[in-house]
Amino acid sequence: MRDYVVSAASQINCGGGSNGDNPTNLSPSDCSLVATTLDTNNAYKFMSGIEGMDRFGTGPIRSSYFMLSSTELQTDFDGLVGAGIFNNWNYPNNSSALPSEWGSIFNLRILTSSEAPVARGASANGQDVYYNTVLGKQAITHINQDGFSMSLIYRDPYYSGMLAQNATLAVKFAQAQALTQDTAIRNLLCTRLSGTIL
Amino acid sequence: MAEYSKLAKGHFTSTGFAQFVNLPFQPDYVRFTNYTLANSAATSQNVISGFWDVSMGQGQAVVQGYNATPALIYDVVSNGGISTFAAGLMLQYGPLVLLGSSGGAGIAKTSGTVLTVTTAAAHGLQPGDWIIFQNLYETLTTGMQQIAGIPFQVQSAGFSSTAFQVAWLGNASNLTVIDTSATGAAGFKKILFPTLYEPGVCFPYTITVTAGVGTVTCTAPHNFKIGQEIAFRIPSVYGAQNLNELPDPLTPGKPKYFYVVSTPSATQFTFANAPVLSTAYVVDAAFTSFPGLNFAQCVAVGDVNTGGDLYSGGNLYPSPNVFTGLVAAPTINGPAIQGAYINNTSQGFIIGSGSGRVLTTADLVGAAGNIVYWEAILHDYSVN
Repeated sequence: MRDYVVSAASQINCGGGSNGDNPTNLSPSDCSLVATTLDTNNAYKFMSGIEGMDRFGTGPIRSSYFMLSSTELQTDFDGLVGAGIFNNWNYPNNSSALPSEWGSIFNLRILTSSEAPVARGASANGQDVYYNTVLGKQAITHINQDGFSMSLIYRDPYYSGMLAQNATLAVKFAQAQALTQDTAIRNLLCTRLSGTIL
Repeated sequence: MAEYSKLAKGHFTSTGFAQFVNLPFQPDYVRFTNYTLANSAATSQNVISGFWDVSMGQGQAVVQGYNATPALIYDVVSNGGISTFAAGLMLQYGPLVLLGSSGGAGIAKTSGTVLTVTTAAAHGLQPGDWIIFQNLYETLTTGMQQIAGIPFQVQSAGFSSTAFQVAWLGNASNLTVIDTSATGAAGFKKILFPTLYEPGVCFPYTITVTAGVGTVTCTAPHNFKIGQEIAFRIPSVYGAQNLNELPDPLTPGKPKYFYVVSTPSATQFTFANAPVLSTAYVVDAAFTSFPGLNFAQCVAVGDVNTGGDLYSGGNLYPSPNVFTGLVAAPTINGPAIQGAYINNTSQGFIIGSGSGRVLTTADLVGAAGNIVYWEAILHDYSVN
């Protein structure tokens, strides 16, 4: 699914960053641009907002699309604190925050994973390129074929070989994925501000 | 111990370039025999047979071939030998091949449709491979960084072991020739598995419209089918804004889609109901604009069975073919709706076109037209 989205969804290169690369590092203006693009394309947001509360260090959170990003970008997110980005611990109430949710910026809520797509050394200046998939509700779907849901198969040694020496462990599944509305998804490509090895 | 071993055999006709063999597993032992050369007079540099064990390391091989005498000798291929591959993950690249001052070569502005890349040493590519460029600074403020990051296919025209051509507006005024005085690590990388999930995003370098029919030429295969629904995303710097999917000035929020009506080549297609372009489409962004520069893109948004004009072509549900190289190759899929997204993942082994330590001008995979028989094994037990 991840590589399919990388291949099929159209791309926006970040241009608001300051590192002089293509794409540049992530900036607030890039996040604003991609959210504006999805709004203009009439995409549905995933999350409603969180109303502001009288708590120190918190602020209201806008209704949002999801942005699926790499954990390696968290240093850049930290650098944007104060420039529109909120860590989920600065939400007025983080009961709606997902376990992988790093925070939010403008109309995007950022989910991070170490498995997010990264093109190593692929930018114009040879830096790693990160694919931040920003999507609305109607963008993609995932279909499991009837009778072929994922199954974990285990056969003990007696059934797996004539000499009963080895067991069999396997996973099988039949599935398909599709972009149901291409205007509701964008890959926002960026590099990191610093090339420091993580 | 042969309880879980996997064995496969087969043969292919060599193209003279590295041969991919798809298998349902990745072997740890491969051997092959070049039947054509074995059935020919003994000739210096002919490799008759070879084998590879995974413990030798990827890209190695032990071969038997004729030396200058000619006598049959053993030799070792240490680069461009036999290796395995698992093409499941995108975004994998080969090493950076240097141009400019570091690589002793560059990129020439050959014509309105071609850029020519030359390298000092053999570049190791073959026609049909895909590459991306990087660090194309001739000076700090000039060069070709505007095209860095776009996937290009290596063309068969103008190809040699140290030169190749890619399709682009090669006479664009804002491109500056990359030569041996270029600063930095100018170069290119091979995209190892460019077509795993198709049809993907393609990057047009020319778009013209004549009598309502638009003609689009891309930098690499588009893998669209006739009847396919497509959409454009073109940044304003390239012109032709009225092709853009959104926003539609007449009906805001209504995506503007087109249909592919012909595919004259792997990298070219035409589409119907094309409007007169608001401004000409020209890929000539200024060098200074390259940080954050967006590329014009064309994406598939529907297969040929998604309504619209009546389709009157051939079989709607063939097993899909994909232009991985210069010719469409079958995928591992069964019947599929034409133009629908498919997986083109694969695994197996590669017999490279490397030469030996003694047989220095030999070609492991043989010359074009040679018949090569192979066996591949994945053992279920290995002592070391």
